[in-house]
Amino acid sequence: MQKLDTLLQEFKEELKIIQKIPDLLNLKAKYLGKQGPLSDVMKNLKDASVEEKKMIGAKANDIKTQIESLVAETMSTIELHEMNEALSKNKIDISLTDSVLEKGLQAAGLHPVTQIQQEIEDIFVSMGFEVLDGPHIEDDYHNFEALNIPATHPARDMQDTFWFADKKHLLRTHTSTIQVRGMKSRKPPFRFVGPGKVFRCERTDASHEMVFHQLEGMMVGENVSIGNLIYFMKTLLTEIFKKEVEVRLRPGFFPFVEPGFELDIKCLICGGKGCSVCKQVGWVELLPCGMVHPNVLKAGGIDPEKYNGFAFGLGLDRLVMMRYGIDDIRHLHSGDLRFNLQFKSY
Amino acid sequence: MHISLDWIQDFVKLPELSPKELGLKFTLTTAEVEDVIQRGAELSKVICVEIKSLKPHPESDKLNLVTFDLGEGKLKEVVCGAPNVAVGLKVPYAPTGVTLPNGMTLEPKKIRGILSDGMLCSEVELGLGEGKSGLMVLENVSPGTPLTTYLGKKVETLLDVDNKSLTHRPDLWGHYGLAREFAASHKLAFKNPFNDQWVKKIESQFNSSTSPVKFEVDENSSCLAYYGLSLDIESMPETPALIKNRLESVGMRSINAVVDISNYVMVELGIPNHIFDRDKITGQLKIEKSHRSQRFKTLDDVERELIESDTIIRDEKSTLVLAGLMGGAHAGVSSETKKLFIEVANWEAPEVRKTSVRLGLRTDSSQRYEKTLDSNLCYRTLLRIVDLLNEHMKVKVIGAPQVYVNEAKRSQKLSLKITQKELNTVIGMTLEKEMIQGIFERLDFEVKESSGEFEVIIPTYRTTKDIYCKADLVEEVGRMIGYDNITPVSPLLPVKPVRLSTAKVLHRKIQDFMVNNASSLQMMTYPLVGPDLLKKALWPKLNEELVLVNALSVEQDRMRPSLIPSALEMAAQNQKHFDEFSFFEIGRSYLGYENERSQLLVGKFSKKKSSFLEVENSVEKLLTSLSLPFQFTGASEKFKNELCHGWTGLHPHEYLNIQMMGKFTGMISTIHPMVLKNFKMKGFLTLAVIDITEFESRELKDKTKYHPISKFPESSCDFTVVVPSETPAASVLSSLSTLKLKELKSKSIVDVFQLNDSQKTVSLRTVFEDSEKTLEAQTIKDLESKIIQTLEKSGFPLKA
Repeated sequence: MQKLDTLLQEFKEELKIIQKIPDLLNLKAKYLGKQGPLSDVMKNLKDASVEEKKMIGAKANDIKTQIESLVAETMSTIELHEMNEALSKNKIDISLTDSVLEKGLQAAGLHPVTQIQQEIEDIFVSMGFEVLDGPHIEDDYHNFEALNIPATHPARDMQDTFWFADKKHLLRTHTSTIQVRGMKSRKPPFRFVGPGKVFRCERTDASHEMVFHQLEGMMVGENVSIGNLIYFMKTLLTEIFKKEVEVRLRPGFFPFVEPGFELDIKCLICGGKGCSVCKQVGWVELLPCGMVHPNVLKAGGIDPEKYNGFAFGLGLDRLVMMRYGIDDIRHLHSGDLRFNLQFKSY
Repeated sequence: MHISLDWIQDFVKLPELSPKELGLKFTLTTAEVEDVIQRGAELSKVICVEIKSLKPHPESDKLNLVTFDLGEGKLKEVVCGAPNVAVGLKVPYAPTGVTLPNGMTLEPKKIRGILSDGMLCSEVELGLGEGKSGLMVLENVSPGTPLTTYLGKKVETLLDVDNKSLTHRPDLWGHYGLAREFAASHKLAFKNPFNDQWVKKIESQFNSSTSPVKFEVDENSSCLAYYGLSLDIESMPETPALIKNRLESVGMRSINAVVDISNYVMVELGIPNHIFDRDKITGQLKIEKSHRSQRFKTLDDVERELIESDTIIRDEKSTLVLAGLMGGAHAGVSSETKKLFIEVANWEAPEVRKTSVRLGLRTDSSQRYEKTLDSNLCYRTLLRIVDLLNEHMKVKVIGAPQVYVNEAKRSQKLSLKITQKELNTVIGMTLEKEMIQGIFERLDFEVKESSGEFEVIIPTYRTTKDIYCKADLVEEVGRMIGYDNITPVSPLLPVKPVRLSTAKVLHRKIQDFMVNNASSLQMMTYPLVGPDLLKKALWPKLNEELVLVNALSVEQDRMRPSLIPSALEMAAQNQKHFDEFSFFEIGRSYLGYENERSQLLVGKFSKKKSSFLEVENSVEKLLTSLSLPFQFTGASEKFKNELCHGWTGLHPHEYLNIQMMGKFTGMISTIHPMVLKNFKMKGFLTLAVIDITEFESRELKDKTKYHPISKFPESSCDFTVVVPSETPAASVLSSLSTLKLKELKSKSIVDVFQLNDSQKTVSLRTVFEDSEKTLEAQTIKDLESKIIQTLEKSGFPLKA
């Protein structure tokens, strides 16, 4: 019996210095193998009494189990140690991300105008507006005539138009052309927005571009009111600026609406006290709008006696510039990645 | 346009509000006031002083230290360099804080070491005269008197309104009409001094003498009305201060009393007019089309080219006036003139506008005529001129006015009907009948109301262009209430689903893929390009048919035929800052008037290596993600790819056509170094262009099909073939496409190895699987040999 206890003690002593799996297996074989001491004990049992056999047999089995579990335990310790050793050998520097390595430009993202355009499109879609577009090269009819701006109308001076050689085609000066096409292809009631590029023959500077973006909107139905127009405009602006925005509606003349308005928002920079952004007025002119002129409805094939509606035009570039504090509108079309990079999504 | 509040007060007593508040009200009811100007406010801070002593500046020969009396014996010393400075002289002194007409605001500053605060001024410095140097010398004034008091000038408040915002209101191009607008919006009484009694008083001067000047109007001319009156004056007086000041405050120069009165009446009543020196008229006047091209020297001494359709006023010898725009240098009134002929006319707005635009000549007169004026107002204007001449000089009227009016085109009163309900519905709030009626009446409309319906008679001066339908009445009521007072209210609408258009969905999917998968920045380049860029890009199509007639510059004078040249330019710019970048643009190319194409451009630039494969992979994944069927094919001699046909910028090897639904809809190419050289680009640029126009109108289809996952094991098998080096490895794989084996689940290239200069090996892996059962060894063997046969037949023998 004592021999068995000593045996376990000896095994434990030897186990302490084992560091490798083969050594461990050898040690296991040494104690538990056929030639091992435990086998010897068992072999010698045949000479023992029944009582002794019972006791020593049980004890021997217990020792065997203990040795086996110690071996298994040590085995996994050594394995884990060896795995960790291997992992340490193949260590990578996890600080060397793309963002710190010189790998050229890795950034990706949408153009800021696209970002704001999508945002506004989604706001309007959520309020039941479709999203339309039309050609950039338009004719006199869609850009002017159908919008109640006949050939001799002084309002044509307000929009410096790029003309093509045939004197009939031009680059659309506003997205209002989308109204005309939109009205002709649907029956009231309807509402849609039309974002897109527009062109003006205008000398460019920090706040003037010859190519810029507008978003046209139109709602036609029965008994549409100025109150409805203000409602949609206020909702839109609150959504865009993520806060309650104070608006002001004042008369503005545009031939395609009657009455026509200019919608101002209380200057977001100074809160209406007057600053350089709002030219000390406290209000910033943001979007022209109004009730669709009966002639425009007629040109769109809609009976102005039965239906009416509102329309508005929003300058997208202006909004982008206001949101990010961009100082020069010419950056938008410049193709300079140093500009685009600042609006990256990653 | 400057509106003088002082002038307005001739016709309405304005309420006790600050100029800013008056301006705000005008902004909210009529048109935006861009600025409130206090004219003469600066001048009122300048005071008259008397020079008491002088001593030379210790550091300068030309400067003096001048001590003067500011009033009440207060003395001050400043540095002064004027040559005429002398003790006892009375001169104007502008203290610190005054902004001079040149825009300079005075601040204390050291002049040669001596601090000087404010300055003694010359007439030029104060904007009171031209050319006279030296201090302005004042007489009979006690020190301390404000200069404005000395000069008899008042501080005048002007509202600055953008002309464009009054395009639709010809009646607001004179102070009389503006005053009516102020009266209506502030609910004040409007004083009309031009009543019947006034008319009779002036008409009493008319007599039966024969008019020395007769005129004849050609019906084909642009003349709508012509009133002429001859009169003599005894002599030309100085222009009265009030008239001179008011003209100056609205930005007009004083010429002589008669011309000033003519201008004054225009700015007061809004109707332009012309006064001739009768001595310079030979025979009768004729108002007709020019009938020929001719050169005509206008008042401003510029020779202008007239064409046959321009309407002119001429006498028997020469052209005197370009109708509606400007008089000639010849027959104008000078200070010597004593015999006058007054013309008050009305012209067809479009004709005036056409001539004005053609000649680039915009005058106070043309700006008014092109708004469409009311012929009915000409007579009152004529009377007002006589009235003012009477007031300021001795006048003898010869005969009575001669009149021509094109009756067919005379502006008529208009009757419009609108109900209270209609107004309330469109405006979106409840308005009382009395309120509506009051608004109409204050606007000088006649109103009759019965059971909620208003019959409104619009005066002729508002019907020329401005008011002609119900919507116009809504505007009049709405603006007078103040749009700001309308409560926002959501409409009640049926609920129905709304989706983004197919085009938008396509664009967004592409954008999202390009950002999130292809790691690219979205670009925006100008749709306008110039011939130089196209030539630099060696682009085969110059788009001459889409050249703008009024381009701003040659760099942007036409629509672009493709996105590629813009992308080249953009990449060339950016390679200066970045060694590598990926970008994309969804934009339009323009092939003709009704032929705009949506293009997707994908690009990658790298200084080090070609990115062809990266771009190709991106495009392949993108098109797959859009469920669009496509095929990459090599350069074709036989079929043209319209997206780049004839362009020498394509790479001889790194080039693929993208074929979709039987058509070339795109291409991928690394750009030829020849083109890169033109753009001074060093590195590799690969571009892909896809025409997405056709796909914008299609619903993107989800083509996903589910197959149950096989329960039986698959079996893979590798083959290695020997091929010539230049053979594309993928062609080995695609040679198996003809093989229709239901067990062949997938095939791919596992390795390519260069054997020697002329040969390489390509290793393929095929995976077989039967969804019904485990493949038997014999079946696998048969499949393998079929593959080997096919490979050999295609000229790809197994490696020995």
